[in-house]
Amino acid sequence: MNNRRNFLVKSASALTMTFIVPSLLSSNVQAKKPLDQKVSNKQSWGMHIDVDKCVDGCTACVDACNEENGLTGFGRPETDSQWIRKVKIKDKTTDKITTMPMMCQHCENPPCCDVCPTGASFKRVDGIVMVNQHTCIGCRYCMMACPFKARSFVHETLTTQNTNAPRGKGCVESCNLCVNKIDHGSKTTACEDACIKSGHNAITFGDLKDSNSKVRLAIDSNSPRRLRNDLNLNQKVFYSNI
Amino acid sequence: MVTMHSVYAHDGNPHVSPGKSKADSQKACVEPTDVMRKEHYLFLLHQRDETVIDGIRTKNHSLANCVDCHVSYDEKGKAIPINSEGQFCQECHVKTATNITCFSCHAAEPRFPNHAKNISNGDIDEISAIAKRIEDE
Ligand code: SF4
Ligand code: SF4
Repeated sequence: MNNRRNFLVKSASALTMTFIVPSLLSSNVQAKKPLDQKVSNKQSWGMHIDVDKCVDGCTACVDACNEENGLTGFGRPETDSQWIRKVKIKDKTTDKITTMPMMCQHCENPPCCDVCPTGASFKRVDGIVMVNQHTCIGCRYCMMACPFKARSFVHETLTTQNTNAPRGKGCVESCNLCVNKIDHGSKTTACEDACIKSGHNAITFGDLKDSNSKVRLAIDSNSPRRLRNDLNLNQKVFYSNI
Repeated sequence: MVTMHSVYAHDGNPHVSPGKSKADSQKACVEPTDVMRKEHYLFLLHQRDETVIDGIRTKNHSLANCVDCHVSYDEKGKAIPINSEGQFCQECHVKTATNITCFSCHAAEPRFPNHAKNISNGDIDEISAIAKRIEDE
């Protein structure tokens, strides 16, 4: 726990590095849903992560997420928000060290939603699990229910939020698959984009229901698994070579 | 020098707030002004659920768009938070003793991750040009 927090602190100091994050209106936009249309279950957003391609010491995805969503720390690593973090694991028999990004796994059967007393923690029809911060009362049940420690609670008054990522004191938050970008037609998330730009290509995002999408090709050509498959949460984030 | 301009508010009297906004050069808001004055919060309340739950991102009743148009820029072209003293949202809400809780979570000035897109770094001419372009569209 401490380690991952320290890790984030270190990576936060690299925030000043410039990452080219496609803006809401960039040329990245293709075949976009009209802005006045509801999202539908014709899409199911998900991710594939090839941990063999993820590089120890690289924080491109974490930095890009922090920048995209305006996550600035207060120098309090125990409580500062993190939507994505790097996790390092070691195979005891082979000593092989693996690092990988962890974010909300966007469970099909999300325990965070089961326990939420107000319905603020919810799954959109396109599969994105997120917090409706207008109705979140900050009880943090969802943080306890999540098996992946994916959620953060905002403890401090914020003043420098990004327009595209409203967030504030007293609410729980977590990775929402760059929902604002996606709704505006982007086909990529900030972390995927940064991972590609770093040359590592470990993260692939896309529509799981589209058999020609890059995420489906990645899933079909590897044999990925879900973390803690025994819990039957049917997450939409898949990991290969782990 | 800070440009002074007029806004008309709750009491029908002109109020001045420092700076210059895109809205200054607009003839009308997204709804008739008297409707907006009384019911803007209902539009926002309606839109917030549509946006968060259903992913509807139309601009007319979106808070981000209100801020984008009504936020004032100082003579250096820097955005002045819309909830700061004397600014568009704050001015009326102080007068009517109503807290604005929007900005405990929402950005009180246009702020995007790609800083090149942040027009608050541009100068006032650029902002006028944008306002003109909106007018022409
Ligand atoms: S990973 Fe955690 S926060 Fe995300 S959907 Fe599953 S239980 Fe909820
Ligand atoms: S902290 Fe908010 S989202 Fe989480 S369970 Fe409580 S009310 Fe629901």
